[in-house]
Amino acid sequence: MNKRLLGALGTVIIGAGVIAGIGTYVASAKNDSRVLAATPAGTINTAQGNLPHYTLDMSAYPDSMAGSHGTTGGKHPGWVTYGPVTNFQVPAHSVITVTIKQYDSGARITNDFFASVHGTIDGTAIINGKAVKSVDPEAVGHTFTLHGLSDAKSQLFVSVPLPSLPDALIPSSGYSKTPNTITFSLITGDAGKYVWNCEYPCGDGTIARFGGPMSTQGYMSGNFDVVNA
Amino acid sequence: MTTMMDRPAATPGHSAPKKALIERLNIFTAFALGIIGAIVFYYVAKAILPANTDGSYIKSNNDQYVIFSMIGWFIGFMTGIGALIGPFRWLLGKDLNHDENMFYAGKDQGVKRYFRYTTDHKVVGIQYLVLTMIIFFVGGVLAMLIRTNLGHAGGGWLQPQTYNAIVGTHGIIMIVGTIIMITGPFGNFIMPIMIGARDMAFPRLNALSLWLIIAAVPCILSSFFLGGISTGWVAYNPLASQAPAGMDGYIMFICIFALSTMVAGANITTTVIKMRAKGMTWNRTPIFIYGVVASVALALPAFPVFFLSQVMSGMDRAAGSTFYNTMGGGSGWLYENLFWIMGHPEVYVILIPGVAALMEMAPVFTRRPLFSFNLAIMGIAGISGLSILVWAHHMYTTGWAPLLNGPFMLTTELISIPTGLLFLVLIGTLWRGRLWMTMPTASIYALLWNFMIGGITGIYLSDVPVDGALHGSMYVTAHFHYTLMGAGLTGALASLVYWFPKMTGRMFDKTLSWIGFWFVQIGFNIAFISMFFVGLAGQPRRVEAYAAMFSRGNMITTGGAYLIMAGMLVLLYGVISSWTGGVKAPMNPWFAKTLEWSVPNPVPLENFDVLPVVTSDAYGYGKAQS
Repeated sequence: MNKRLLGALGTVIIGAGVIAGIGTYVASAKNDSRVLAATPAGTINTAQGNLPHYTLDMSAYPDSMAGSHGTTGGKHPGWVTYGPVTNFQVPAHSVITVTIKQYDSGARITNDFFASVHGTIDGTAIINGKAVKSVDPEAVGHTFTLHGLSDAKSQLFVSVPLPSLPDALIPSSGYSKTPNTITFSLITGDAGKYVWNCEYPCGDGTIARFGGPMSTQGYMSGNFDVVNA
Repeated sequence: MTTMMDRPAATPGHSAPKKALIERLNIFTAFALGIIGAIVFYYVAKAILPANTDGSYIKSNNDQYVIFSMIGWFIGFMTGIGALIGPFRWLLGKDLNHDENMFYAGKDQGVKRYFRYTTDHKVVGIQYLVLTMIIFFVGGVLAMLIRTNLGHAGGGWLQPQTYNAIVGTHGIIMIVGTIIMITGPFGNFIMPIMIGARDMAFPRLNALSLWLIIAAVPCILSSFFLGGISTGWVAYNPLASQAPAGMDGYIMFICIFALSTMVAGANITTTVIKMRAKGMTWNRTPIFIYGVVASVALALPAFPVFFLSQVMSGMDRAAGSTFYNTMGGGSGWLYENLFWIMGHPEVYVILIPGVAALMEMAPVFTRRPLFSFNLAIMGIAGISGLSILVWAHHMYTTGWAPLLNGPFMLTTELISIPTGLLFLVLIGTLWRGRLWMTMPTASIYALLWNFMIGGITGIYLSDVPVDGALHGSMYVTAHFHYTLMGAGLTGALASLVYWFPKMTGRMFDKTLSWIGFWFVQIGFNIAFISMFFVGLAGQPRRVEAYAAMFSRGNMITTGGAYLIMAGMLVLLYGVISSWTGGVKAPMNPWFAKTLEWSVPNPVPLENFDVLPVVTSDAYGYGKAQS
C-alpha cells in the first residue's frame, strides 16, 4: 500500500485508540461499579398469578461512611448515600420485595407527589410495620424512585417516600439504632435497564440542593437492571 | 524593565551577555507564571475574603476562590508571555525601539517565534491554525464520547453527570473553535496580504487576541475537575448560578475569549478599512474580505454583551448579586436575552466567513468571474443586518414576550432571502464554468447541499407552532450541525487546502484531501440526517439515555460520527505529512488573481517589497465557455 495511505490509516488507528483510551478511562471512573443481585425467596401469589419472589435490602445513610465508599467515606465523606451498593439486578416478571433502612433526617419535600407511594403492589408501603399510601410531606428524608423509561419496551415507575428520622434519634457519631424501616413490593416486566434516584433535595448547595450526591451516581442514584432469570 | 536588544556579541573567554527580558518570555514562562499566579491569588483570596455566613447556597467561598485563582492564572499567563511589556513601556514613555519591534515580529527566530508573543500576522495565523486544530481535537474527542454513549439505548456507558459535563464542554469548545476557524488562521495570515498590506493595523493586538484564547482554554478544561458544566453550552441562569464550580471555568473562559474577539474585531476592521492597497476600491476588494469583516463586525457588538452576561453570572455566584435570581429581583429571562443577543449573530460569525471563502474559491476553480459580486455583498450585508434582529426565536417557548414571537418569526424567515442570494452567487458562478475539480471545488457543492438542508430545517424551526413541538429535540441539534458544521466547517476545510500552499510553502496532499473530504461529508450526512428522524420522532436533546424506539437512528448517527472522525484524522495526517514532506508549492499553484498569490513562498516578513497598486478586481478570468 502507498506510504501516505498507510500513514493516514495509522493516524486513524492511533486517533481511534486515543479516543478509546480516554473513553475507557472516563467510563471506568464510576463511583460504584458493584451490583447487588436480588435474593430468591420462593414464589408468591399475585393478581398476575403465581410469580417468583425475590428480596432486596438496602439503606439510606446521612453520610458516606457506610455503603460502597469504604470506611473513610471516599472522595465525599459528608455526602448522603444509599448502601451497601447503588446498582441492583433483579429478575424479569417477578415480585421484588425491597426493604430500606432509613438513618437520615429530613424536612419538607419540594414536590408533594413524591410524598405518596406510587407503582407498588396495592399502591402501599409498610413503614415501621404500618401500611401507608403516603407520608407527611413536611418530614421526608429521601425517596426511592425508579424511573419508568427503560431501554426496553416495559415501563416501570415506582416511587416510595422514606420518612425522616427525628433529630433526637440521630446520634452525633455513628448511626441510629432505630432507623425507619420501609418495605414495599413491585412486579417487574420485561428485561431492561432502569435508573433510580432520590427525589428529596438532599444534595450539597449546588443546583438548589439537587447537586452533589443527588446528581452523582453511586450516592443517591444508580442503576436498576431487570434481567431474564 | 530591561528590554534592550542592542548588545555586544560574546567574546572568547567571556560569558555570553544576558538575554533581555522579552527574549526570555515564551509559552513555558507563561504557563509557569500562570500557575504561580493562580496559587498566589488562591491563597490571597482565602486570606482576605470573609467566610460566607449568609446562608445563601448560590454565593459561595468556593466560587470566589476559583474565580480569583483563574484571574491570577490569567494575569500570570499574560505577564509570562510578554503581553504587558509593550503597554508598560508605553506608559513609561519608553515605547519599543525598532530592534525590539523586529524581535516581536519574530525576525530571524525560526521555529521559536511560534512559541512567543510574536506580532507578525503570518506567525499569528499559523498559531491560530494549530490552536484551532487542537480545539477541534478536544471537541472531537468529546463528540465521540457522546456518540459512543448514545450508540445504544439506555446509555450507562458514561455516568449521567459526566455525560452532561461532556455535552456542555463539547458545545462551547466547538462554538469557539468554529468562530476562530477561518478568521483566525486565514483572516490573520491571508487577509492582510490579500488587501496588499504589510501587516495588521495593530500587530500587538493581533498577538494579544491569540494569546488571550490560549490563556482561556485551561479555564474551560479545568471545569472537568471542578464538577463540570452541567448546563449545556448555553449555561442558562439561574441554573448556572447554582451549578458546581466548573461553571466558574466556563465564565472565565467566555470572559477572556470575548476580550479576544473584541480585540480581533477592532483590529481586522481597522486593517481592512485603512490599509487596503492603493486602487483597491470597495468593489475591487475580494469577497473573502467582506466575509471576514462581516464576521468580526457582527462579533464586535455581540461579544461585549456575552462578556457582560458572564460577568453578571460570576457576580451572582461569587459576590451575592441577584441579576438572574428571581428571589432577589433578578430574572432568568435577562440572561437568556443577553445570551442570545450574542448567540444568534454568532451563528453568522461562524457561517459567513466559510461561505465567503468558498465564494472566493469558486471563480478560481471555475475560471470565470464571481457571478454578481454586488448580489454577494447584498447577501452578506442582509444576513448581517437581520441576524441582530432574530435572537428571541431561541426563546419562543420560554414565555418571554409572547407578543414578539410573530415579529421574530418574520425577521427569522426573512433571513432566508439574503441567504438565497449567496446560493444564487455560488450556483451562478458554477454554471457553465470550466470546472477544475479539486477538494475545494467539491466543497462548494457540499456546502450547497448541507446549507440547503440546514437552511430549510431552520425555516421550520423559525415557525412558532412548529418550534413548540420540535424545540428541545434532536431535530434542533441536527439543524445547527448542518449549518455550523455542514456549511461553516466545510468552508474552513476547503480554505485549509486552498491556502495551505501559501501558509506552509507545500501543497496539501491531493489524495488525502479527497479521502478526508468524502469520509467527512458522507459521515456527516449519515450522522445528521438520522438525527433529524429521531428528533422528529421525539428524542430530546441533552439526555444520556433514551427509549428503545430511537435505537436504530442513534446507531446510524454514531456510525456516521465514526466516519467523520476517520475523515478528520486523515486530514490531520494530511496536514502533518504535507507540511513536513509535501511537494513544494509554486508561488501561485491555483493561478488565482488575488494578491496573496503574487508574493513568494515563504512570504517575506513585510509581505511586499513594494506595495502593490490594484487596477482591477480579482475575478478577471474571462467569460465561461458556453
